[in-house]
Amino acid sequence: MPAFALVDANNFYCSCERAFDPALQGLPVIVLSNNDGCVISRSEEAKELGVAMGAPWFQIEQGPDAASIRQFSSNYALYGDMSRRILEVLRRWSWKVEPYSIDEMFLDLSGFGGDLVARGHAIRRDVLRETKIPTCVGIGPSKTIAKLANHLAKQRPEYAGVCDLTDPEARAVVYPSLPVGEIWGVAGATGRRLARMGIQTVDQLAALDMRQARDAFTVIGQRLVMELRGTSCLPLNMLAPQRKGVAVTRSFSHAVTDWREMSEAVATYATRATEKLRRHGLVAAGMTVFMRTNRYNGDPSYRGQVSYEIEPTQDCLILIGEALRGARSLWRPSYRYFKAGVMLHDLSPVGRMPASMFPTRDPRASARIMTALDAVNARFGRDTLRPAVTGIAREWATKAEYRSPRYTTRIDEIMKAVAI
Amino acid sequence: MDAGELPLAYTGGETTGFQSPASDYIEQGIDLSDVLDLDKPGVYLVRASGQALAARGIFEGDVLVADTAAPPRAGGVAIAFVDGECVLATLAYREGAWHLLSADGGRAPRPLGEGAAIWAMAAALVRTEV
Ligand SMILES: [Mg+2]
Repeated sequence: MPAFALVDANNFYCSCERAFDPALQGLPVIVLSNNDGCVISRSEEAKELGVAMGAPWFQIEQGPDAASIRQFSSNYALYGDMSRRILEVLRRWSWKVEPYSIDEMFLDLSGFGGDLVARGHAIRRDVLRETKIPTCVGIGPSKTIAKLANHLAKQRPEYAGVCDLTDPEARAVVYPSLPVGEIWGVAGATGRRLARMGIQTVDQLAALDMRQARDAFTVIGQRLVMELRGTSCLPLNMLAPQRKGVAVTRSFSHAVTDWREMSEAVATYATRATEKLRRHGLVAAGMTVFMRTNRYNGDPSYRGQVSYEIEPTQDCLILIGEALRGARSLWRPSYRYFKAGVMLHDLSPVGRMPASMFPTRDPRASARIMTALDAVNARFGRDTLRPAVTGIAREWATKAEYRSPRYTTRIDEIMKAVAI
Repeated sequence: MDAGELPLAYTGGETTGFQSPASDYIEQGIDLSDVLDLDKPGVYLVRASGQALAARGIFEGDVLVADTAAPPRAGGVAIAFVDGECVLATLAYREGAWHLLSADGGRAPRPLGEGAAIWAMAAALVRTEV
């Protein structure tokens, strides 16, 4: 019988912050979205204080608990690297690991036999020791059951972090107490439809007649019922889907009204997007640039977007030019711009695309310069060397006032220990 | 050379005129990241500050390779958190308990437990200025 485990990090971003500062243990910790906008991760203590997911920071900042709360800007360089470390630890337990999201990994434990619960505890212990990140483990004969089991492991302390629903009897005990909304992939609309059919709990859905499931929810619903009954239909997916496009979009720290700031931002996003292209050995044949005002704050509304063909290249200087061409065509003075973005699409591996017949720049010189640029930035940190059009002061740049050090990716930001 | 192509990497074997007698014996250069196990998921870099462990050869500014998977070892150097402070201390096993020792005797030995826990063991040391 197949066996899957879902390892899910508890309050992942907050736990990453605590990993390098254990003094945060026991304190209400929150992590804020880009631009320090709103809460995207909360420690248990913050949840107990009543801090809601998505709550705006400016409200919390002025609220009664501001003094006790420790807030952090999101530090994705750190979170991404910690996610990588978790996956590396898990690979010691099974070479089949699917990184489903930044903090959720599926493991294929089929054929290992033995005590899966003990294995789950050992996995948690390893991850905690090596990454300092607490996790919960859900185990089951299908990914859907593993995900439900994980939910129980998180919610119910009696499981001590590991819940195994391999045994049909164990499922029969818990299914009636679980609302269908807890099932992976059963979002709002499906849940409401199930409710209309009189299906409220997981046991009712698992007992649904196959034909009925198919009629009401297509083959996907049928598969869901099968998965809930313990027949695995969703295999582990270890290959990341082919990149469809590269997007770099950010909201500004303040409303941008000045073309210089807008052009710096767009040039910066184009530079970032080109970095991603080079990292994946791709070129793009198309580009989309957009800029917009904030539709919620009463500012006059403007949403401009333009897509066009571009020279397939990995040269950021060329792509900055292409992006600014689009941005200039969109720019209307007098608006208060809130967000802009650069998207690259029609990607293909470098070399697969016919080279441009009239390249803007000598391709050999261009490749050398980009290699040098990447080498310098890899060694001395991102943006050490960058085109001047991307701006020097960058007042528009995303605010990250409370970001912790990038402990694991920057040599000048590593942890410090005082010799005693 | 085709347009856009970068020069091929030359490792000592890929000669164009006379075949290199070394071509069957080419080895990878030494990768310090391998030597120091920097790719292990439990390995982190930590900067030492202060001179209290100078007698052990650990100086201000040194970069320690910290291994969170390594078990505590008597006489080893631990990266530990003591009352919220990240310290570098020698580890000792005394009277049935692990203690963090202060090298200059400035602090009393601190038993692990309440407010004191090992974060990682120092596994190696890198000094970029000699
Ligand atoms: Mg999680």
